Amino acid sequence: MKAMIHDVDRVNLKLLKTAIRFNARILGLTAGSLAAVVIYIATQASIVKWGDDSGGYLGLLAIFFPGYSVSSAGAWIGAFWAFIYFGTCSWLSYRVYGKVLGTRISALLLSPVSTANPVLKPSILQLHGVSLGVAIGSIAALSLLASTVWLVVRGTAGESVHAALFSNYIPGYSVSIMGGLWGAIELFGLVFLSCLLLATVYNKVVKIRHKTS
Amino acid sequence: MSRSIRDHEILSAVFAKMDVVAMSVAVGSLCSLLFFLATAVLLMQTAPENYPVGAHLSDLSDYLPGYSVSWAGALIGACYGFLFGALAGFFAGVYWNLTHYFALGVMLISSAQLAD
Repeated sequence: MKAMIHDVDRVNLKLLKTAIRFNARILGLTAGSLAAVVIYIATQASIVKWGDDSGGYLGLLAIFFPGYSVSSAGAWIGAFWAFIYFGTCSWLSYRVYGKVLGTRISALLLSPVSTANPVLKPSILQLHGVSLGVAIGSIAALSLLASTVWLVVRGTAGESVHAALFSNYIPGYSVSIMGGLWGAIELFGLVFLSCLLLATVYNKVVKIRHKTS
Repeated sequence: MSRSIRDHEILSAVFAKMDVVAMSVAVGSLCSLLFFLATAVLLMQTAPENYPVGAHLSDLSDYLPGYSVSWAGALIGACYGFLFGALAGFFAGVYWNLTHYFALGVMLISSAQLAD
């Protein structure tokens, strides 16, 4: 224990925190803009296929994206909200990831001191499955809970037949506060396992591809 | 000595490049498995005779030709899942690396301006 504290003392915690903040912003920007592009393209594709205000499943996004509709103007509004939601969730996820990972961050490099210039000649990133699972799992669980609470608060829980379909995959889930809580716990488990699988496959492929280097 | 190594490691971790191929394979495999399971779960649930199983999920056939809520459709869906997942992983990896290069460029330019 004493050795561990001494080890932590030797780490430049200020630099570590700055590093985590920097990457969290980059991830927020990356995920937010990708989500915005996806929503914009999906809305435009829907208009091309079914005409303006075709509605359908995509139109249900208006419950969470105020002002959104399946129209040319709605595509921009949807892109804006997608950027906000996904950017914030991804930024938060990386902050949690960095927090859980902590000083083990350097252990994730393929070769911790392999490169003389870490900025211009970067090493290859590896993923820490447990930290990734905790980070993305908790944000996904909170998102499900918040969405369910929103449906209950706006008084449309009974009409939310599409949200209720989640119970096919998350047994016990319902559009209610208790159902949302139970669903959040189960979703955390599912996302945690998915992240473990994702990290395992990613790290395996990285090791295979960079075996010789 | 140990401080400089640790700083170096932290910087390496921040600017580490994402392996785009590995990310494509990983996200593709995960999406493939999830798509298969999403269909399989519906097929394994007991439903009354002539009850339309997975009426909402089968609407995906509008976008994914050949897909249906059936065992054959689950396999076709798994292939689509891999394809779209791999594409998403590819773009996420490329974009992540590009954003780092861009941020690095901005930092280098600002530090050069500060030095002037």
